[in-house]
Amino acid sequence: MNDHLLAVLELHGLFQWLYDKLLTVGLPESWTTVVAYGSLSVIVFGVLALVALYLIWWERKIAGHIQQRFGPMRHGWHGWYQTIMDAIKLLQKEDIRIATRDRVVFFWAPVICFVAAFLAYVVMPFGDRLIVADLNIGILYILAVTTFTVISLIMAGWGSNNKYALLGGMRSAAQMVSYEVPMVASVLTVIVFVGSLSMVDIVKSQSGLIFNWYIFRVPFGPIAFLTYIVAATAEVNRTPFDIPEAEQELVAGYNVEYSGMKFAMFFLAEFVNMFTVAAIAVTLFFGGWNGWQLVPSWIWFLGKTMLVILLLMLFRWTYPRLRVDQLMEFSWKFLVPVTFANLILAGVFKQLHWYW
Amino acid sequence: MPELRTEEFIVNMGPHHPSTHGVCRLVLTMDGEKIIKIEPVIGYLHRAIEKICENRTYQQCIPILDRFEYVTAMSCNYVFSLAAERLGQVEVPQRAEYLRVIMLELNRIASHLIFYGVTAMDIGAYTPFLYGLRERELIMDLFEMTCGQRLTYNYIRIGGVSRDIPPEFVPKCREALKIISERMSDYEGLLNENPIWLVRTKGIAILPAELAVAYGVSGPVLRASGVQYDLRRNDPYSIYERFDFDIPVRYHGDCYDRYLLRLDEIRQSMRIVSQALDSLPEGEIKNKKVKANFKPPAGEVYARIENTRGELGVYLISDGSAKPLRVKTRGGSYNQLQVLPHYGTNMLIADLVANFATLDIIMPEVDR
Amino acid sequence: MTKQELAAYVTEKFGDKLRPLESGRYDPLFEVQAGDLVDVAQALKEDENLRFDFLCNLGGVDTKERFEIVYNVASITKNLRLDFKVILPYEQAEVDSVQKVWPGANWYERELWELYGIHVRNHGNLTRFLLPDEWDQGYPMRKNWDAPDFVRLPEID
Repeated sequence: MNDHLLAVLELHGLFQWLYDKLLTVGLPESWTTVVAYGSLSVIVFGVLALVALYLIWWERKIAGHIQQRFGPMRHGWHGWYQTIMDAIKLLQKEDIRIATRDRVVFFWAPVICFVAAFLAYVVMPFGDRLIVADLNIGILYILAVTTFTVISLIMAGWGSNNKYALLGGMRSAAQMVSYEVPMVASVLTVIVFVGSLSMVDIVKSQSGLIFNWYIFRVPFGPIAFLTYIVAATAEVNRTPFDIPEAEQELVAGYNVEYSGMKFAMFFLAEFVNMFTVAAIAVTLFFGGWNGWQLVPSWIWFLGKTMLVILLLMLFRWTYPRLRVDQLMEFSWKFLVPVTFANLILAGVFKQLHWYW
Repeated sequence: MPELRTEEFIVNMGPHHPSTHGVCRLVLTMDGEKIIKIEPVIGYLHRAIEKICENRTYQQCIPILDRFEYVTAMSCNYVFSLAAERLGQVEVPQRAEYLRVIMLELNRIASHLIFYGVTAMDIGAYTPFLYGLRERELIMDLFEMTCGQRLTYNYIRIGGVSRDIPPEFVPKCREALKIISERMSDYEGLLNENPIWLVRTKGIAILPAELAVAYGVSGPVLRASGVQYDLRRNDPYSIYERFDFDIPVRYHGDCYDRYLLRLDEIRQSMRIVSQALDSLPEGEIKNKKVKANFKPPAGEVYARIENTRGELGVYLISDGSAKPLRVKTRGGSYNQLQVLPHYGTNMLIADLVANFATLDIIMPEVDR
Repeated sequence: MTKQELAAYVTEKFGDKLRPLESGRYDPLFEVQAGDLVDVAQALKEDENLRFDFLCNLGGVDTKERFEIVYNVASITKNLRLDFKVILPYEQAEVDSVQKVWPGANWYERELWELYGIHVRNHGNLTRFLLPDEWDQGYPMRKNWDAPDFVRLPEID
């Protein structure tokens, strides 16, 4: 009984129970799979949309408290449903489509951005046995699909037929492609230790005490984490690397011509992306769902992710913004050499078992 | 392989752009992200203040001139009063002079605090904006306590000030100064040593002193280029000779120096205010001889004072009637914006934003 | 150099070219002939004891009989202040640009042309900037100009 309750608390028991119920309905096997995965994707999508909404609220509260104010306070306790009301407002807003847009590109850009943001969650281990599909190339898959975001931003910049948007799109392309390199190299540092690309394997290799987490595998873990978090900040276009949408320079960058729900899609995708990079950081460096047994694993995962996001938010509300060329210099002249040196040394030391 | 064809393109920065502080339009010719040419287009905020003043009596001009440079409206009140007093040979009571200096310097602090916040905001740091405005609020409260207004004060009148300060003003003012001087270290801690701030401002958009003088640039921007020229010292008005304060000067002329210089000025202004509070005499606050239909004898005078954005001047011509014949205003931002195309090119658009912010241009002063 | 010394020095140095005017109330005020303007400005800037390198302000005046253009100049190195004005007839008012001496005069002279209709020779960029581009209602700073929808109230005294 206790095991059963624990399994339900861990949610995978709940899903298992639901799946068993589904099997009893008597659908053909292929249909069962379709229904199971369909409802699963709806659940993941819904959870992520809620997380994104919550993150927006969380960001506003943090910004408020850093800036000696309260942030949203009107809707509910400390404004907890403020962002839901915002989303409803955005949904019913007029969708302004400028006449000189490139119709196809303009329409598909937010869609691609939105979809790409959610695709990563196919292989994201939310908790013990809580994963949609444990691909054996998990991390590679995530790095591949999140790159779609670049295309969508360029499309938004081009399709808007606006010079600010174009500049923003160009900047985002340059920035995200440059920071992809140190980000992947930092991720590889961990992969060297794990020897597998599967997200579940990565988490399982860190099971046990806190000192099994890769951030504590000195000397390479902390360096890899720092380079990863810097590159990830750039990857999700947040201050101090938010030049694609630098408000004071490019007004709003690539999304300047978008309004209503299309804008909301970019906006939500941004927060989902932030959650993605934080979740990858947790999976790679903080032991994923591993933690004290009495608390369900998915709570550990979400809690750690929130802490990493808190770090990203603190960056955003305390630092000024870099200039575009300084940003590139920082990536190519500092981050890339450091991450590659770290990667090579990690490989050497791994072979010699010279790590803690 | 044929050579890649590139072309310059034109970006309209403004009139509605987050970092042009009002409605300034800069027509930028750009090569990628690099600016080849800047062409300021102004006039979106032209309210014909000079023409309106010609159709008002002298006393009625003061509230109009509040709108001339609304971030430091006290200075606008003062410079017009100064010109009118010089024309009409009006004596100003001592207490009024002290009150004027206190208000002018408090207004300078408030304006520099806005500068601090807005500049940080333009360079991408959002938090200092709120910090700057938070301390400005203390000063706004003091003004509200004194004259009931928070932005356009209409406080300094010809021959004195409109009303005396309430008894709780002096302790409140000392308290505000104490809080601001404590929090100055917060401001500096947030930005001064921040590596990102340094790479964004140090050595960026250097304004050479010769160019600045040639184009009539004045105030903190000129002093950041190494020219020690402050009208409070060089062309003393009111009772500034009685106070002990320094004129901060910095020599690089880049965005960082312009930013630091304004922080220095906040400190000096606080020194002046606390000295003025210490020696505030009792007595009249307004010359009773100045009536509503103040008519100075015919003549002309140019009054200029040191405002936060440089030299604020009024050329006032009286023909002996109740209305001025001509009120020609001069604001520092006008010249600062004029010099921008001559040194602001060949840099990235992000540097232009930093440059524009540290010039501290506000558009009502340019367009009038 | 005090204001009196400055006035005496300038009168002695420039003689007829800078004629002192009585109406100045605070700083010395002089009158310059329109033809001498640029030469005088250049001389004021280059004189070793004056060095008027800083143009504070430049503005037109309409006295209903004539135009005046007032130049307020200052010397940063010598810490001096001086005003001088050019008097122009109402019809065909034309003046030389002083941009060669003080480049900052550019926008002030544009304003002069735009609001007063005083033509500035050798300016190079006389285009509208304060008024709307399609403005065709004359020169608004002239005293005899009224806005089309403006009703002049009786004078009060």
